[in-house]
Amino acid sequence: MLQGLENTAIIAVAGLVLGFVIGCLLATFKLLPGKKFWARLPGRFTDLYVALFRGTPMVVQLLILHFVLFPALGVDIPSVAEAVLAFGMNSGAYVSEIMRGGILSVDKGQTEAGRAIGFGYGRTMLKIVLPQAVKNVIPTLGNEFVALVKETSVVSFIAVIDLTKAFQNIGNSTYEYIVPYLMLAAIYLVIVLGITGLVKLAERRLRAGDRN
Amino acid sequence: MIEIKNVYKNFGSLKVLKAVSLTIQKGEKVAIIGPSGSGKSTLLRCMNLLEEPTYGEVWLDGKLVTPVDPYLHPDIIAESKTFKKLLAQAKEASPKASEKALAEEIIARIKKEDLLKKHEGSSFAQKSRALYKENIIPINLARRRMGMVFQNVNLFNNMNVLENLITAPVSLKLKTKEEATETALRLLDRIGLKEKVNEYPSKLSGGQRQRIAIVRSLCMSPEYMLFDEPTSALDPEMVGEVLELMKELALDGMTMAIVTHEMGFAREVATRVVFMDGGQIAEEGTPEEIFGAPKNERLKDFLSKVL
Repeated sequence: MLQGLENTAIIAVAGLVLGFVIGCLLATFKLLPGKKFWARLPGRFTDLYVALFRGTPMVVQLLILHFVLFPALGVDIPSVAEAVLAFGMNSGAYVSEIMRGGILSVDKGQTEAGRAIGFGYGRTMLKIVLPQAVKNVIPTLGNEFVALVKETSVVSFIAVIDLTKAFQNIGNSTYEYIVPYLMLAAIYLVIVLGITGLVKLAERRLRAGDRN
Repeated sequence: MIEIKNVYKNFGSLKVLKAVSLTIQKGEKVAIIGPSGSGKSTLLRCMNLLEEPTYGEVWLDGKLVTPVDPYLHPDIIAESKTFKKLLAQAKEASPKASEKALAEEIIARIKKEDLLKKHEGSSFAQKSRALYKENIIPINLARRRMGMVFQNVNLFNNMNVLENLITAPVSLKLKTKEEATETALRLLDRIGLKEKVNEYPSKLSGGQRQRIAIVRSLCMSPEYMLFDEPTSALDPEMVGEVLELMKELALDGMTMAIVTHEMGFAREVATRVVFMDGGQIAEEGTPEEIFGAPKNERLKDFLSKVL
């Protein structure tokens, strides 16, 4: 059971971090300035990526990664790492759209001021726009994280023991289902409430510089 | 010296700038005035390429700022065999014409018909790339030398005052953190806002913010300052403190281009006033000429409304 909790935590947290990084990159790609073909290419990549990962079920992606893609490539890594990759890439698609909204919500003058002082596009994004964008989308990101934690319950498809699988095993070996499953629900609830609290805290900290 | 040569700017079908040429010498304070929609802000933003001209060139101290195909760079064209041959021919045809005028004509023709790509070989391609590197200035380097102050201030909202002032010089490795902090504190002290060093922009008044934005530009030790209606978005009572700081800067000898509606300020501080109308420079001259004896009808009309 502890093993299951640990796996769930690893997959959710590492998946979110990976998803956040991928999402920020994809959103930045999508918003690159320039009208030429080459300048548009990263944006097209984002479109394709989002379409693929948002258009197919998480479980299917996980199965394809575990049973089709990695065997074909001859990659052999622990199933937990596979799950982290799958969840990170899937989450990246959602986070990229969240971040894009966040970046667009930052006043255009902030970018202009950054560029006018001599920063390149990347540095302007990293130092000025993204920190403000993240602050604006913290509530939505929290939402995404909560969804991610709960969705990790599908990793048993590739034989990873997570929280859900662990309690299923308890139920199967003791023929007692009511208590384990209610406990399982309670544990998820506690985790999610904990995350919600953390998100609120982060939001308060990040808004310290704002009015009032 | 900032040189704007024959710049056009279109936003879709809207022609905002039409063949504008303007040279700003070191030490000059050029006020750009005109009715709204006349293209004065766009002209200023073309200088540091926040707007890229649709056509035309911007030069900073003899180096090209606007992006251009190496084969279209005038200095490179002047090095080519094609140019020399055409110039020799042109001289023979009209020996009395000035060489400079002929050269300009030929450069324009070569650009228009893209003759270099057709006639010059690969050795010239190599040479032109090397020449190109010497004769352009990358935009981010150009912008470090031209500070910009915006109408809506645009201090970085995610940073406190000190971070706003030191982030650019430090992360671009122009100064160490200690040096940058020292400069920032000295400049803040000068404008009397040293005690605000750890505040966030949202806690400051409009006038304080704009003065700090000016100082933010100064922390990059720019040679030129571009002001885009710096007082237009401020409460009337805050306008004075910002203009006062700009006046001090002018007295220090800073080269300035100022888009403004403050005619009194333009008259007092500017060494030259440019009146824009309909995307063109309609009249330019000393403040005495522009405000005292305007010639252009539109300018007379404009002044009668704003003064």
